Amino acid sequence: MKKILIVDDHADIRRLIRMTLEFEDYDIYEAEDGATALLLAEALRPDLVLLDVMMPGDLDGLAVCRRIKGDPLLQGPGVILLTARGQAQDCEAGRLAGADAYLVKPFSPLQLIDVISQQWTAA
Amino acid sequence: MIGVDFDPEPPVTRSFDDAAAAQMERIITDLGRVYQERNEALREVARAHHEALLRLALAAEMRDDDTGVHITRIGHLAEALALALGETPELAHELRLAAPMHDVGKIGVPDMVLKKPGSYTPEERQVMNQHPVIGAQILGRSRIRLFQLASEVALTHHERWDGAGYPHGLAGEAIPLSGRIVAIVDFFDALTMDRCYRPAFSDEVALQMLAEQGGLAFDPRIVACALRHADRLIAVRDEINRNPPDLFSLVE
Repeated sequence: MKKILIVDDHADIRRLIRMTLEFEDYDIYEAEDGATALLLAEALRPDLVLLDVMMPGDLDGLAVCRRIKGDPLLQGPGVILLTARGQAQDCEAGRLAGADAYLVKPFSPLQLIDVISQQWTAA
Repeated sequence: MIGVDFDPEPPVTRSFDDAAAAQMERIITDLGRVYQERNEALREVARAHHEALLRLALAAEMRDDDTGVHITRIGHLAEALALALGETPELAHELRLAAPMHDVGKIGVPDMVLKKPGSYTPEERQVMNQHPVIGAQILGRSRIRLFQLASEVALTHHERWDGAGYPHGLAGEAIPLSGRIVAIVDFFDALTMDRCYRPAFSDEVALQMLAEQGGLAFDPRIVACALRHADRLIAVRDEINRNPPDLFSLVE
């Protein structure tokens, strides 16, 4: 079963994403900040990371993305960035950080499901 | 008053923050869309199922009627007669869609029986009399109302008001209304079309033959109604013969 790591500082958002993916067969894990995300990524080796860009603390989503993509041990999991509306520069920054796709929050759950399944076919 | 006194727990109020509330709205929007698409897909499946059965009915019909327009006429005539009887437009509409499949069971009757001119031997009669049962089997026990109705019509359209019909010898109002209506329009329409073994009867003769069967083969109330509205039924039939509607007019 594919493993997905949800990284967002909002517990409600994590829960809503979990709900959205409920009917797909995924193992879902959650992290509430960048540091936890990196720890879990190493421990769990997720196939995909859903990553909020704007998180409090030293590590925002872009930093986490760069670290995950740069770590040869993790074997390059897919990364989908979740960015706030109107942060157009996030998109370019996300690509530079190595993200595979991005969605603007609030995102359409159907689109999230589509983007995730595209990750599997692309891989 | 029977009841149990209890102290209700104070309700826990907890609200989403703006980001989560906005996300929730998107989820609900998508839910609505999925719901619509799902309903549309179900309708599409029912339509495809209906069309397949209708094409099967057409295949059965075209063995002894080159055009297959008979089954289209039966649908529209059954609808017109149901309306004349004061049945609801919904039921009349459903009958239009269901009635054309009444003879689909003929697909299980060999040509040497189906196309035989003159009267049947008892063995042939027995084979022929199976077609309502075969039809009901083909239409199956569907969960969809329309196909339940089609199956009911197929099974009961050769029952007779006096109980001498087949396959079950039902009598009077034990025969479903749908079957009683279709029996009458089927009889009238069959009489007024050319068959390989005889030319068509005139409308006057056919109506006279119908009148004679009130209380015998057919529900006398429906026969009386059909005779009262004969002009309307004949107009419906003639219009279909002039401009045979597409098969799709019989699919929801």
